[in-house]
This record gives sequence, structure tokens and C-alpha cells, in this order.
Amino acid sequence: MFSIETFFGSFGPLFWAARYTLLVSGLGIALGLVIGAFICAAGLSRWTVAQRFAAIWVSFLRGVPLLVQLLLMYYLLPVIGINVPAIAAAVITVGICASAYISEIWRGAIGALPRGQSEAAIAMGMDPRNVWTRIVLPQAVVLSLPALVNELILLVKASSLVSVVGILEVTRASQAHAATTFRPLEVYLAAACIYLLINLCLAGLGRYLEHRTAV
Amino acid sequence: MVQASSVEIRKVNKFYGPFQALKDIDLSVPPGKVTCLIGPSGSGKSTLLRCINFLEEYDSGEVRIDGQLIGYEAPGGRRMRARKLREMRRSIGMVFQQFNLWPHMTAQENVAEGLIRVRGLPRAEAADRAVEALRKVGLGDKMANHPARLSGGQQQRVAIARAIAMEPRLMLFDEPTSALDPELVGEVLNVMKTLAGEGMTMVVVTHEMGFAAHVADQVAFMEAGELVAVDAPARILHQPEDPRIQGFLRTYHERNAF
Repeated sequence: MFSIETFFGSFGPLFWAARYTLLVSGLGIALGLVIGAFICAAGLSRWTVAQRFAAIWVSFLRGVPLLVQLLLMYYLLPVIGINVPAIAAAVITVGICASAYISEIWRGAIGALPRGQSEAAIAMGMDPRNVWTRIVLPQAVVLSLPALVNELILLVKASSLVSVVGILEVTRASQAHAATTFRPLEVYLAAACIYLLINLCLAGLGRYLEHRTAV
Repeated sequence: MVQASSVEIRKVNKFYGPFQALKDIDLSVPPGKVTCLIGPSGSGKSTLLRCINFLEEYDSGEVRIDGQLIGYEAPGGRRMRARKLREMRRSIGMVFQQFNLWPHMTAQENVAEGLIRVRGLPRAEAADRAVEALRKVGLGDKMANHPARLSGGQQQRVAIARAIAMEPRLMLFDEPTSALDPELVGEVLNVMKTLAGEGMTMVVVTHEMGFAAHVADQVAFMEAGELVAVDAPARILHQPEDPRIQGFLRTYHERNAF
């Protein structure tokens, strides 16, 4: 028998745990956007060392599962003498992992701009800084919005993995709650609803931003 | 009358790997005159035009604007400093085949952007001058439109306004009407005629033989990276001596006959 009470009763503790899901994915993407911008810039620079670094960064972080990266970071930091709370290690790992994907998203968006866009600015004598900040980036950000929203949604779901380093986010909280209520179906269904709710909001935000920036 | 520049091109060569795109090009563009570059596609017309503002780097030879070498410190020497090159480009306007308007800005913002970022004008003054330039190309009522809300002909006129607002002394046109529907070509050519009438030095890569015949002071014919002939429009278009020009014009007339 499906227990409606357990299903609705699960939302309380799971919403509470959703703080961590939002914290890890929110801070993770923020960090990922910043690091991703630098990695993207490094990849597009004329400096070979920077290009090489960006290429290695991207291929390593995309090639190793986030779960493994989390465990590595969690056990690596104490070894090299850095003691940070598990939540910080989780945010940093998620951010670094996201930066690899985000830098590629931006590289693609910048590459998608017709060459003539910057050429028109260069031809009138505009300096490189203005060409980037006034012509290239505003368009690249708009072009990358759908892919960035996609990435953010993936991150929200991937944040369930940080449960392995002991953070009580939605997935781990639902496991615990299922174990105490002996009602796994109801509890996991509630967890599914919470993820869905978060991601529908994000998708809506993405559509709003795309609409706002459309010309 | 605008202040007009002259262009001197001497022995310019340009290679793409083993392919030679420009072969020993010599061309003089007198101040205040209109020079049309014609010839088959792939003949190097656009490449030559883009060497004049150094968007395309020529490998040897000289391109001088009012006597000043562009792109290099000295003939065959080091590359010119970026700041100096930008300074020279400020007085050279360019209009592209694909317009290259910035889609995230309105027509007025497109025109004002260079005035603010390159000329360093205050916003209000830049906005006023943008309005003035747009009125001049007949688009005073489209200032608030984004490029996506303009026809091809209107977009190209905004692009011309964007260039002339910078008060250039030389204008380069790279097939300005080739991407336009036939019925929109006239409005762009009319703006260009007005500009020519004001004494602007213009170099125009074009397939519009009518424009070349009626507006140009000289026509240069290029083929396979070579400048075959430079002469008065009538002599190139009506009594060409070179068989290559005759062949090109024959194809042109056959295509346009009905």
C-alpha cells in the first residue's frame, strides 16, 4: 500500500536537506563560471603553455567521474595539510569539475560568433579590451545561456554524489529517512519531486533570461 | 567637403601558404576619388581591399595612406605597434558584405559605439552624432531598431552610418550590395553616390558594373591575384583591350541578359 502520509511527511526533512543540494550546486556553478572563464581565456590565448594547461585541465576533469574526483579531493586535502570541512571540499570539487564543461561551453559560444563581428570593431580602431567586453562577450553569454542552464541542471543532479563525503543533501537524507520509515518508495518519490521542482525552476529562469536577452 | 586621404599601393604581395593571393600589386587611389575593384571571385579584390586597413596582412610591398605606411614600421620591417595601427584605422571606414552590425545593439547604439569607445566622445554627444549619421542615410526613424528588425538594405545603410559617423578620410566597401535582394541594392548605392559626391575617397569592391560605370573615377580589374588594368571606367567597361577583361564582361552580360 502506498502511504500518502509518509510521502507528504518526507518533504519536511528533505526540503531541509535541499539546502545543501542548492548550496553545493549554486556555489559550484558560481565557482565553475569564474574558473571556467579563466580556463576558456587560457585556451584561446596565444600562449602555448596556457593552451596546454587548459587542454589538460579540461580533459582530466571531463575524463574522471565526479564521484572519483570527490573522493580524491576529500582524501587528498588532509594529506597535503589542508583541513577544510567536507562541504567546502565538495563545493570546490563540483566547481572545478563544472569549470571544465563551462569553459568548453564558452569556447564554443565565442567560436560561433561570426568573425565579422569583431572585425567590424577592429577595423574602426577599437582596442582589444573593448572588442571583448562590448562586442564578443555580451553575445557569447547570450549564445551560451541554454547550454549553461543545461549544465546547472546537471550539477543539481550531480550534487547527489556529494553524499559520499558525508553531506546530508537530498539523496542522502532520503536514504536515511527511508531507512527509518521503511517506506523507500514514498520517500524516494518525494526526493524525485524535489529535484524536479528545483530543476523546473532553473529551466524557467533560463527561459526568462533567454527571453530577456533576445533581440 | 570631407578631408580625403590618398592610398598608394606598391608591389604588394600576399601568400596563403604556397598560394599567392596578390601578385606585385601597384595601385594609386587619388584623394576624393572613387576607385572600383572588379573581377571574378577569388581574384584577390577583397584581399587587396583588406590590405588597405591591414585587416589582411600583406607579406611584402607597401601600402601607404597619405604617405604613411600601414602595418609595418618600415617597408619589410617590423610590425607596426598595435596602438599606432588602431590610430590609423580610426580614419578609415569599412563596410562589409555581411554588414557586420552588432545584433545586441540598436541602430543608434551601433553607430554611437565607436564614437564612445574609439573616439572617446561623451555618451550624449555620441548619441546626437549617431542620430545625425542615421538621418543622413535616411534612417532617422529606425534608430531604436535592432538589426534583426531592419531589412538588408537598411542594415547596410546603418553600417555605412556607423562608418561615416567616425568621420573617416577614406572609405572601403567590400561588396556592399552582394548580400542584398536586388530591389534593395539601389538604396545602398544611392547613399554611396552621395558620399562620393561629397568628395570622400572610396575604394569599392563590387559586381555592380552600373555603379562602376557611373560613379567610379577609375576602375581596376583583377584576375588571379594580378591587377590586369586600371583605367577610366569607360575604357575598362566599354573598350577593354585585355582578353581577360573581355571574357569577364561577356560572362557578366550573358548572366544579366534576359
